[in-house]
Amino acid sequence: MSTVRPNTECHAGLDALYRQHHGWLRGWLRHRLNDSADVADLAQDTFIRVLLARTADTLNEPRHYLATIARGLVIDLYRRRSLEQAYLEALALRPEIHAPSPETRVLILDSLLAIDRLLDGLGVRTRAIFLAVQLDGLTYEKAAERVGVSVSTVRKHLARALMHCLLFDDA
Amino acid sequence: MKAILAEAVDWYVRLHDSHVSDATRASWQAWLVADIRHAQAWARLEQLQQRMAQAPGGAAMTLETARQDRRSAIKALALLLGVGVVGWQGYWVSPWSTDYFTRVGQRRQLTLADGSRLDLNTDTQVDIRFDAGERLIHLRHGEILVETAHDRRPLSVLTAEGRILALGTRFSVRQEAGVSCVTVAAHAVEVRPERAPQQVMRVDAGQSLNFAADRLGPLLPMAADAQAWTRGMLVTVDWRLADVIAELSRHRPGHLGCAEQIADLRLSGAFNLDDSDAALANLEDSLPVRVRRLTRYWVRVEPRDA
Repeated sequence: MSTVRPNTECHAGLDALYRQHHGWLRGWLRHRLNDSADVADLAQDTFIRVLLARTADTLNEPRHYLATIARGLVIDLYRRRSLEQAYLEALALRPEIHAPSPETRVLILDSLLAIDRLLDGLGVRTRAIFLAVQLDGLTYEKAAERVGVSVSTVRKHLARALMHCLLFDDA
Repeated sequence: MKAILAEAVDWYVRLHDSHVSDATRASWQAWLVADIRHAQAWARLEQLQQRMAQAPGGAAMTLETARQDRRSAIKALALLLGVGVVGWQGYWVSPWSTDYFTRVGQRRQLTLADGSRLDLNTDTQVDIRFDAGERLIHLRHGEILVETAHDRRPLSVLTAEGRILALGTRFSVRQEAGVSCVTVAAHAVEVRPERAPQQVMRVDAGQSLNFAADRLGPLLPMAADAQAWTRGMLVTVDWRLADVIAELSRHRPGHLGCAEQIADLRLSGAFNLDDSDAALANLEDSLPVRVRRLTRYWVRVEPRDA
């Protein structure tokens, strides 16, 4: 694969990459995000990823590469926002629960994010069955009823989801 | 290791069953100690359980809502990210890609593209398909209340049993096993059973109708406050206790049952659907019953002296 290069050379590559494509990347992000602070943050994060990957000077199609990284970050931002929103809505629906402190919220949101990422790539049905059994605490029979499948299908999908989580966790 | 993980998962699925036998438990114990790698694989599963346990109550709903919001925006997002979604316009959803849904205990209000309002009751799935010629709401599961906006295209609700055509209106539709129930609060609708389309029936404000795919039930007066769920309430006038419990259980995850001996006790009242624990406590105060809880998810209402 790629040869290991001295750090300075890599930084030089990144520097060139930054100068040539930073403006373009911001434009790319501006088309996709409403908030200029988000644009600045994600542009920065994209270059940090490139820096950490040490690939700046080995790129054939730098803009394609930057866009790929930035796209992942946009999706992640989107994921975090949607979870935050859904979580706040859930809190608002249960006013009897004392609103957790901002620190606790961050922890809870992180755990939701981790689970959400873990479940990426599962089919809708597998995911629904896993959540019903693992988070809602439904029996196999109830989960089968909710999702509209047989109990043996519930077992099969639960096993598939658990396996997926274990292997993903490994990565 | 993958094969051993698969074994561990298999054991987990068997042990997690509510009908697990002592024999199964014993064989699992034997498996667990037979090989150190078995115990290691099992430990990984337990770690996973720990992570799940850190999620707040109602996390499943939060995760699904978030995913659903993302999916609703997928068209916009796909465009934004420059990923083509082929055939989006002609996309007619499979049962596993519902446009909108609620989980048990959740309700939702939506405004559709034409300005119509749609309330989703607990545990409900709908697909929306509007095109140049018509507005279709496909109710796959659960219950909805529709308040139609003015539009030249006809609006219909499809259920497993047939089609309900709105005639300028506010009405609710509930999908039960093999039966659709329509209740009209304002104006009227026209009901057409799937397998007997010549049997068209007009249902007017203040009436409700149950129908199967091949026949219509009688027109009935609408129950008092039948649509109180949109305000998070259940209003009952002289209901059987078993029916009250069944209705409450639609709004709460897990099992909520009622013993035979008390099923026919009569009850009138108003209950908060978002706090079925309070509703159950209420029952204990007003009727000779007690609420037995095995776990958070397994609750049964029984005679007090049992």
